[in-house]
Amino acid sequence: MDPILYTILLCVIVFGISLGAAAYMTWGERKLAAVLQDRVGPSRAGPFGLLQPIADGIKMIFKEEMIPTHSNRWLFVLGPCFFMLTACMTSVVIPWGSGLTINDTFYRMQVTDINIGLLYLLGVVSIGVYGIMIGGWASNNKYSLLGALRASSQMISYEVAMGLSLIALVMTTGTLQLGEIVRQQDGGFANVVYQPLGFLIFLICAFAETNRAPFDLPETESELVGGFHTEYSSMKLGFFLFAEYINMFISSAVMATLYFGGYNFPFQHELGLEGNALAIVQSLVFMLKISGFIFLFMWIRWTLPRFRYDQLMNLGWKILLPLALANIFITGLVMFFSGKLG
Amino acid sequence: MKELLIVSLAGIAVLAADVIKFRKAVLPIAVASLFSLIFFCIVDWGRNENPMDNNMLLFDNFALGFTAILTFISLCWFLITTEYFGNDARRTDLYALTLFSICGAVLMVSYTNLVMLFLGIEILSIPLYVLAASKKGDRLSNEAGFKYFFLGSLASAILLFGIAMVYGATGSFDLGIISTASTAMSSPTPLLNAGIVMIFAGFAFKVSAAPFHFWAPDVYQGSPTPVTAFMATVVKGAAFAAMFRLFSGTFGSFIETYGDVIAIISALTLIIANIVAAVQTNVKRLLAYSSISHAGFMLGAILSAQNGDPKILLYYILTYGIASLTSFIVLYHVSAYQQGAEDFNAFKGLVKRNPVLAGAMTLAVLSMAGIPPLSGFLAKYFVISSVLQSGYLWLVIIMILTSVVGAYYYLRIIIAMFTPLENSGRIVVSDFQKYLFLLLSLLMVGLFFAAAIPDWLY
Amino acid sequence: MLTEYTFWFLSFLAVFSAFAVILSRNPVHSVLYLILTFFSIAGHYFLLNAQFLAAVHIIVYAGAIMVLFLYVVMMLNLNQAEPQRTSAWAKFLGAGAAGILMLVMIAVIRKAEQGTPAGLPVNAGTVENLGITLYRDFLLPFELASVLFLGAMVGAVYLSKKEIT
Repeated sequence: MDPILYTILLCVIVFGISLGAAAYMTWGERKLAAVLQDRVGPSRAGPFGLLQPIADGIKMIFKEEMIPTHSNRWLFVLGPCFFMLTACMTSVVIPWGSGLTINDTFYRMQVTDINIGLLYLLGVVSIGVYGIMIGGWASNNKYSLLGALRASSQMISYEVAMGLSLIALVMTTGTLQLGEIVRQQDGGFANVVYQPLGFLIFLICAFAETNRAPFDLPETESELVGGFHTEYSSMKLGFFLFAEYINMFISSAVMATLYFGGYNFPFQHELGLEGNALAIVQSLVFMLKISGFIFLFMWIRWTLPRFRYDQLMNLGWKILLPLALANIFITGLVMFFSGKLG
Repeated sequence: MKELLIVSLAGIAVLAADVIKFRKAVLPIAVASLFSLIFFCIVDWGRNENPMDNNMLLFDNFALGFTAILTFISLCWFLITTEYFGNDARRTDLYALTLFSICGAVLMVSYTNLVMLFLGIEILSIPLYVLAASKKGDRLSNEAGFKYFFLGSLASAILLFGIAMVYGATGSFDLGIISTASTAMSSPTPLLNAGIVMIFAGFAFKVSAAPFHFWAPDVYQGSPTPVTAFMATVVKGAAFAAMFRLFSGTFGSFIETYGDVIAIISALTLIIANIVAAVQTNVKRLLAYSSISHAGFMLGAILSAQNGDPKILLYYILTYGIASLTSFIVLYHVSAYQQGAEDFNAFKGLVKRNPVLAGAMTLAVLSMAGIPPLSGFLAKYFVISSVLQSGYLWLVIIMILTSVVGAYYYLRIIIAMFTPLENSGRIVVSDFQKYLFLLLSLLMVGLFFAAAIPDWLY
Repeated sequence: MLTEYTFWFLSFLAVFSAFAVILSRNPVHSVLYLILTFFSIAGHYFLLNAQFLAAVHIIVYAGAIMVLFLYVVMMLNLNQAEPQRTSAWAKFLGAGAAGILMLVMIAVIRKAEQGTPAGLPVNAGTVENLGITLYRDFLLPFELASVLFLGAMVGAVYLSKKEIT
């Protein structure tokens, strides 16, 4: 197959998986919330309410579309689109599997393995906030604006610690390529063993970057109505809500890739599986790891109360940032004394 | 290298002392580090170390000499401004910022790589933007900081653009390689030419030479007076030393091409600064314009840089630095006792109110005017004679004429001090400061005789 | 071929958005156009094979600095810039000076020698090569930049903290 065509096809598949996963995460979240609160949850549309996401989607699309009179129309539309775009963009560097061989042609399962993969990831994360800011400002509503400002300062604060925790990881792996990072974890320990503190910091920052509880201050309903999407309706609101689930899915995938071995699993070569069969099992294991993280996201959301804003800032700047720096320092020391420096 | 380490570590040590609530140690740390800096400059003198760290820095006699005199002026500055900084929390921050700024100055006199030059300028400037705005409640101070920051970053950008072009033309940041590459050309290529002009423009801003001087009066007037004193002495001196290093050695072969440009800018600076200074009523603004006019003189020293003798510039910076520091600090004391008044009336009757201040101010002003037997005279004389040797007779005539204008407004300050004033309280300064003023006055006279003795400095 | 088209597209985008930055009446639009300019410049870095620079350019400028810019502009609620009373003379002189600078630049760059400097590998912009250059040849400036940042940090803290009196 033509390489360009294949890349485009792969992009479509990856986006499709992300969107599909995000759709069923809404169902999963509601079910899980119901279980935690001793309720039934969605149960009417289809068996176990499995058709609920589709019903929700149709409802969203057919709702009346409203653009506030005094808003900035162009930016008002751009905001959710941009947020959705950045949410999907990260998925192209994640290795979803080791690759399939069909008719002697190798089909990789990663859209592109650029050698600055980690930086690309950080870059996309760092521009992700623009969707919220543009949307919140263009709504011309003070609650929206406050939500947007909260989102931007929160994301900026946690990006720093996130980037620094990744630096320690780069020090141990010696590469910025996600595919290479995953291959290195084949057979050995997963990176979380070498970088437990780094993983913890990354995890907390991932919660903050996706605006999930307990860091969902940009959309605190008790003080800011709906936060940055107060004025949004119909599918534009859907984009904001949906992109949040995509973000969650992707950051789970990133954590699984970077710290938990990606598509590798223990004793994978002892199973007796070869080639395509192994690759498919690996991809399924990867999905399982992602589901684990998504479960963690939801579990925490329905368990922990929200931070106060000053607590959030203190945690980011006064605890996570020094911890991340200390982590880099310790990693450097250990590498120096264990002679792992080239 | 150790010179650089001392001063940057001193800045960090000052901050650390504040963290462990040992604020008393702040001034001693700063002073001790500057003393040791001068000490090491003397120890290393004449050793001519090889360029180190991949040709980034070279502490030759040029660098050591300028480091020593800039450090000496900073040392005097630290000791004489203790009253302004007091003993509160902000002192630590401001001292640390000043030390970082001095670190930039050390870089600017010792660089052998354009990257280091740019870093040095930024390390020097960024703390200064903050220092200029350090009187937070004062509108003028805020304006000064803002103006300095905006225009200063623009100048830095232009300088950086120039450095990029020089890199494009010669393929290196290293002064040695650039020098070799540019000597190989009979005349500079357009790219190199544009690069050098932009670097020169960036420098002209930093030393406040006309027509890049518009920021200087406002910034000098708005900043707290001790900060102004630091800007007018150490900062200007470091910028000129950096300029000399670049235009004497590296671009020395093109001096015919740029000689006229430098001469015209020097003449413009002298004429504009002196004429505008003559009509000022605010002494601080007047001193700012006087500082600009001295930049015109020092440009003359750059003009004759291909003779390769930095002593003229060194002597000028030292004498001008001492005189300027003295005048600004006296102004600080005078205006502090009259609710911040800075006009001529504030100086009335200073002879009676504090003879030491009045004496030091008189000497400083006369030295800046270039009256013998004060060191400022010799400084101007050396510059004028070397400009004459380079063949710019018309520039010499302008220098002499504008000096006459300068003498007029300098004398106005002296006349104001000697005008009697009824019912005026005394201005009290501590004994230590009194001795410092005496020391500075002594230096202004002593340096004249030191330099006048042939075969010792000259 | 594709590279060339990309180059022209990015150049057009960069120049257009840079003009839009200064011509927009609304400060928020200006900031957004500036972000677009940064993106197109980052694209140029990619074309020059300087991937690290491109990524860092986006992370630092578009992702951090411009977010703060936007934050401040939004917080101050500068919806519509006040009509600035710039005299016609100032505008004329400013445009004239900038125009002359542009002419000089065009003349200079037209006459400049093309090509990479000697001894510079084609893939000089990759992370590995950049790291080696930065930590071997330019180690001292790299370390000294920390003094610069420390100074800037102390200054920022000094200016923003409340005076304890």
